[in-house]
Amino acid sequence: MKEMSKKQMADAANRHRNGDGNPLGANSEIARKLKQYYDELVSDRVPDRFAQLLSQLEKTEPAQKKD
Amino acid sequence: MAAVSQSFKTELLGAIPSLRAFAVSLTQNADRADDLVQETLVKAWDKHESFQPGTNLKAWLFTILRNEFYSQMRKRGREVQDSDGIMTARLAVHPAQHGQLDLKDFRGALEQLPEDQREAIILIGASGFSYEEAAEICGCAVGTIKSRVSRARTRLQEILKISGEDEFGPDAISAQVTGSNAA
Repeated sequence: MKEMSKKQMADAANRHRNGDGNPLGANSEIARKLKQYYDELVSDRVPDRFAQLLSQLEKTEPAQKKD
Repeated sequence: MAAVSQSFKTELLGAIPSLRAFAVSLTQNADRADDLVQETLVKAWDKHESFQPGTNLKAWLFTILRNEFYSQMRKRGREVQDSDGIMTARLAVHPAQHGQLDLKDFRGALEQLPEDQREAIILIGASGFSYEEAAEICGCAVGTIKSRVSRARTRLQEILKISGEDEFGPDAISAQVTGSNAA
């Protein structure tokens, strides 16, 4: 783990220098909170309505357009 | 015309968590967000043929969702964001001690950003898109995304009264590497 964080540190530093990495600064407080905020949203349980919606769309699918 | 493929459907399903996260970030409202995701899925399904296989489906979906969001905003006459005075009420956030920043405070600060800045910082800093992809999703130049992200960052720092963001120590990095498991 120590080795990895060293490597990651170097990578982050490189990206930082090149300006093409995380512009927030990979280890900034804001970057961390942003990730935390977003990851929490992503890991929220998906309501069933979406799977149902896709099944419905699939059933009604042969509504084909002619052009 | 061609039926919607099974793999397309599977990928749609897989993209839902990200779409919901992006939708909440845009709307700041869970119910509106899910309606937006639903609209997006229906639209994506209808125009699945315009998706080029091998390109980034997630970016394509985010584009649809974003377009839908802004067209809804236009229909509502943009009364959405600061209709109930959240903006001013939330301006006062407790000064954050370094590393002690509360997620709730952060959420409140994020909410105060203009949509264009908020979406830019989310796409780049959280959803994992490149500048080029984000520019494509937002239909603007790469430079525009860069400046929006930078303004968003500055604004968040101001609101949250964070300083010393540029520090680059190993402690902060290892905290990031292991942080998610620690909590």
